[in-house]
Amino acid sequence: MVFLPPPHLASASRPAYAEAYANILVAHRRSPLTSASSVIILVAPDVDALCAAKILAELLKQDDVMHRIIPVSGLADLERMKDELVTYAELHTLILLNMGAILDLSSENWFGEFSMKLTVHIIDSNRPQNLANMFSGGENGERFIVWDDGEAENMGEERKAWEALTYEPEPDSDEDSELDDQDEVRSNEDDGPDDDEEFSERGPSGKRRSLGDGDRSQEKRRKLDDQSTRLSREQRDTYHELIAKYYGSGSWYGQSASATMYILATVLERVDCDFLWLAILGLTFQYTTARISRDTYDKYHSIYYDEVFRLNPLPPDVAANTTDAITAMSPDDLSVRAAEELRFMLFRHWTLYDAMYHSSYVAGKLGIWKERGRKRLTGLLAKMGFSIPQTQQPYAHMDLDLKHQLRAKLDSIAPEYGLVELTYPSFARCFGYRASPLSAADAVEAVGALLDVAGGIRMEVEVEGARHGGEWFGGGRLWEGGRNGEEKREKRIEVGSRQKDGDDDADTDVNGEERKERTWWVKNFWAAYDALSDIVPLRDALSLAMSLHRAIIRQGTSIIDKQDIRTMRSHRVVVLSQGPDLALFAHPGVLARLGLWLVDALRDRLPGTKIGGLKGRGKKSLPFVVACLNERTQTYVVVGIMGALDFGDVRRNEFGLAFIEAKQRCNARSRHSTFDASVLEIEQEDLKLFLETLCEVGEGY
Amino acid sequence: MALPQSLRTSVTPLELELIASEQLVEIVPLITMEKTAFISGAYGPLRPPAKCRIPLWMATNLKLKKKCHIVPPEWLSVDFLLERLTRETSRPEFSKLPFRFAEIAKVVLDVASDDVQNADKIKSLLKDLREARQAKSRDGLQKLDHSELSLPNLCSMEINEIRPFFIQSMGILTQLVREPSAE
Repeated sequence: MVFLPPPHLASASRPAYAEAYANILVAHRRSPLTSASSVIILVAPDVDALCAAKILAELLKQDDVMHRIIPVSGLADLERMKDELVTYAELHTLILLNMGAILDLSSENWFGEFSMKLTVHIIDSNRPQNLANMFSGGENGERFIVWDDGEAENMGEERKAWEALTYEPEPDSDEDSELDDQDEVRSNEDDGPDDDEEFSERGPSGKRRSLGDGDRSQEKRRKLDDQSTRLSREQRDTYHELIAKYYGSGSWYGQSASATMYILATVLERVDCDFLWLAILGLTFQYTTARISRDTYDKYHSIYYDEVFRLNPLPPDVAANTTDAITAMSPDDLSVRAAEELRFMLFRHWTLYDAMYHSSYVAGKLGIWKERGRKRLTGLLAKMGFSIPQTQQPYAHMDLDLKHQLRAKLDSIAPEYGLVELTYPSFARCFGYRASPLSAADAVEAVGALLDVAGGIRMEVEVEGARHGGEWFGGGRLWEGGRNGEEKREKRIEVGSRQKDGDDDADTDVNGEERKERTWWVKNFWAAYDALSDIVPLRDALSLAMSLHRAIIRQGTSIIDKQDIRTMRSHRVVVLSQGPDLALFAHPGVLARLGLWLVDALRDRLPGTKIGGLKGRGKKSLPFVVACLNERTQTYVVVGIMGALDFGDVRRNEFGLAFIEAKQRCNARSRHSTFDASVLEIEQEDLKLFLETLCEVGEGY
Repeated sequence: MALPQSLRTSVTPLELELIASEQLVEIVPLITMEKTAFISGAYGPLRPPAKCRIPLWMATNLKLKKKCHIVPPEWLSVDFLLERLTRETSRPEFSKLPFRFAEIAKVVLDVASDDVQNADKIKSLLKDLREARQAKSRDGLQKLDHSELSLPNLCSMEINEIRPFFIQSMGILTQLVREPSAE
């Protein structure tokens, strides 16, 4: 396993992205058994991986390389996929997107047993990465290539530590401990030999005597050699500590996978607006789901800003810096423009009042869940000069001049209410005359909603004009998304199982359920994948995203109202066991969003707790654990979120490790159903015990 | 064939496009390729950044894979088309245009609109040209008789449009002429 430096750090001796890509092409063209399963791309279910997959698929299509994209939902799914992949004889390239960095892929559990001609490329934004993946070399190692973003240059210490520990033999074989003992006596480091060393000292010393004098010269030679390379005990300890610190400081995120793919496209000189838009979506996703800090976002944003102007030269008289002022210049205008984005959720598709009500930032500052807070919101809007009927109109129907003034008014009046930093620089894309320009944040919301809930749950979606007794009585309609095919499949399964023998029914039911569970999730993936390139399903998905948000707000406000948040010593816990949207929140993606909303909303009202690094000298943050009951499977889905105290800052998420440790301590029956270690599915009866153990684990920090 | 009856006698526009794609266009390649033999002939070598003439079908394929830039033919420019349009609207006969201009223009604008300058203006000019010529050809059909129909400078798509009609009608007219009306 080697890591690839990014192109700006590459040199003749260190191949970078372009060479790895060229190798994929060469392998494809030269192998006699090339078929559609020669190049397989495994994609994790998040927006960033989806964008990266799309860029990569397009690049491969342009080079006439047949490939397959397979969505993988979690570790269990990956194992199942691995068992299936072993049977493919013509597989020579495997690409993992946003998964696998933490796994030791060359071990027998994973891909160590595959044939030698298989190359595995790992493009993953999750950190920490398994150091074995990064640094081990050798023939087996060359098969696994990690595409790095430049961070590995700063990991020199960890590299040294890992190499030293892996390549030096352990100090508990006989001769080593004997030599160690002698070293220690010579250097007077320890207080005294340990017990086991005394034991082994007697052993080999007996052996030494029996070997006779002839070997003494050999041992002396060995001693002299080994002194130069022998690791002292204390060095070994420091190395262990360094590596433990690397793995133990929680999880964070590096460069997005779509950014890596965009860099590849740049190196191959094949970028265009579509790739740029996908890369922007990946970055915005990372920012809006609090995976990267504002500084990192700004850094990447400036790169994309330059790219936008390079690829889409605007005529000089058109100066638009808000998405409202952007209009498509021609029916085929598909260009990307830079625009400032307000922090309101999907505000261009809602009424203004709704958008501010549903945005977690505003909600937190104004205290939306209380009636008093809602009055403050209307007060703020009134101060800005928006009358109540105006704010209740869908945004598209608001007066034009009000829209243009919105930004200026917000800047001047909102700070009085404590709402600062309401905008951040972002991008928007025109779609010709087919749809109004869509901002990156809105697109990310829509695609994310499709990934989470496009099929498999009943979602009521509001029809525009349904409020205030509009033409369409009965406010909503059911989201059609992936459900039509779903129902047909249900019928087919039922008919099939009825025809089988009676005693098989129970099994087929369970399998049918599982298959349904898997298939609806795969359908969501493909629905989201299609929506990335087609504006019509993307726009429809916006209404789905809105109803998802409504559900989150409903649940969030009821939690805060009922004061359902229990404060433990080191973190806060919310357990959802009833409510109208319980089935909705049984999905980890939706639950994570609820957690993020709570963190944002309560940021100013709760003191941060000092959950720290390994020695308790960490920074203050807001750890949150949210659990939701899944009635169908009688399990709880638990999500841990580490919120930061400042808006725009992120903390490393240590809940992954905490969960694993708590799980081991209390022997709870649970499994990690996604790639994120901080998301856990646990049996109903074990939840209470698990939460208590989690507190103990937290205190250990 | 799966076409409705009325369309089976003539060629479809897609087929005309295929035939027109055999014509050579100029490209600026981004990849290198040796002189390669294809069924219709040998093309290449491609040596960037030198221009090269290859058939339109190959240029389209390369362009979609971002491996070349298509140089639009000289007649696909605002000045040329504007001049032809004024000529079209001022005189009663058809102005001279490349025989397969409609098909080539469509393919080039679909695939390589970023290589064509002022693509929107050209699209609207092409639309105006088509409307003007269509009006003229409709008028010209009134002069139809049994022996000849002369419409000089008509282009391939337009001929294809009226071909089923005038073949049938000329046939009927010939019959009528041969057998003087028996009352």
